[in-house]
Amino acid sequence: MSIACPVGFDVARLKQEVRQTYASVARDPGGDFHFHRGPEYAARLLGYDLTELKSLPQIAAAPFAGVGNPFLIEHLPSGATVVDIGSGAGMDCLLAGRRVGPDGTVTGVDMTDEMLERARAGAKEAGLDQVRFEKADINRLPIDPGSVDVVISNGVFNLAPDKAALFAELYRVVKPGGRLQFADITVGVELSEDARNDIDLWTG
Amino acid sequence: MIEALQQAGFRNARACHFFDSFAGTTKERVARKYEVRGANFVAYK
Repeated sequence: MSIACPVGFDVARLKQEVRQTYASVARDPGGDFHFHRGPEYAARLLGYDLTELKSLPQIAAAPFAGVGNPFLIEHLPSGATVVDIGSGAGMDCLLAGRRVGPDGTVTGVDMTDEMLERARAGAKEAGLDQVRFEKADINRLPIDPGSVDVVISNGVFNLAPDKAALFAELYRVVKPGGRLQFADITVGVELSEDARNDIDLWTG
Repeated sequence: MIEALQQAGFRNARACHFFDSFAGTTKERVARKYEVRGANFVAYK
């Protein structure tokens, strides 16, 4: 079960809250948040390889706040074109960049300046020229139609109030035969109207 | 999620791994109440 956006929901306020929350994470990844961050969490609860994460620039890895591990799903082939939706500080993009190699490309898309700054610094420090980042709304991607082999994402789609529009946009950019492999949250019980209108539940 | 992916045109959409992503956080109790977990999904065009 996923969360549906109720009629009358304040989407503009949600976007602003999401942006502020993740800007705060970028400024202070060790701050007081109600979700985990960083490589130790990713290894302990999500199955990432801690040795590999420790080899990444920590400017990119420390603010990681994903909820799953898209790399457990299918191998990213060498030379692939990959897009990461809501790429944050870029940890998953750097891992994807290593897997697709110099003949592939990884484009991280995010709307938070503080995260993009970290992500670009991390890619530069890692020497991964095939990894780049774009500031954009995830419903209007700066990506050509039918140009992407694999879309990855981690803990972002639940923050999008209009999933039909988001998935239509992803369908537009993915090649025939391409795929989405992503992590997100699931909710096992039906939420009340009050709960679905609670911005804190969405941004968390 | 699966239904929304299918409606967009993706096929073979499914959840394939689950994670206790909120264990040990201040929201753990709420996560347990609403059965909130992390999950991996895959879908093909």
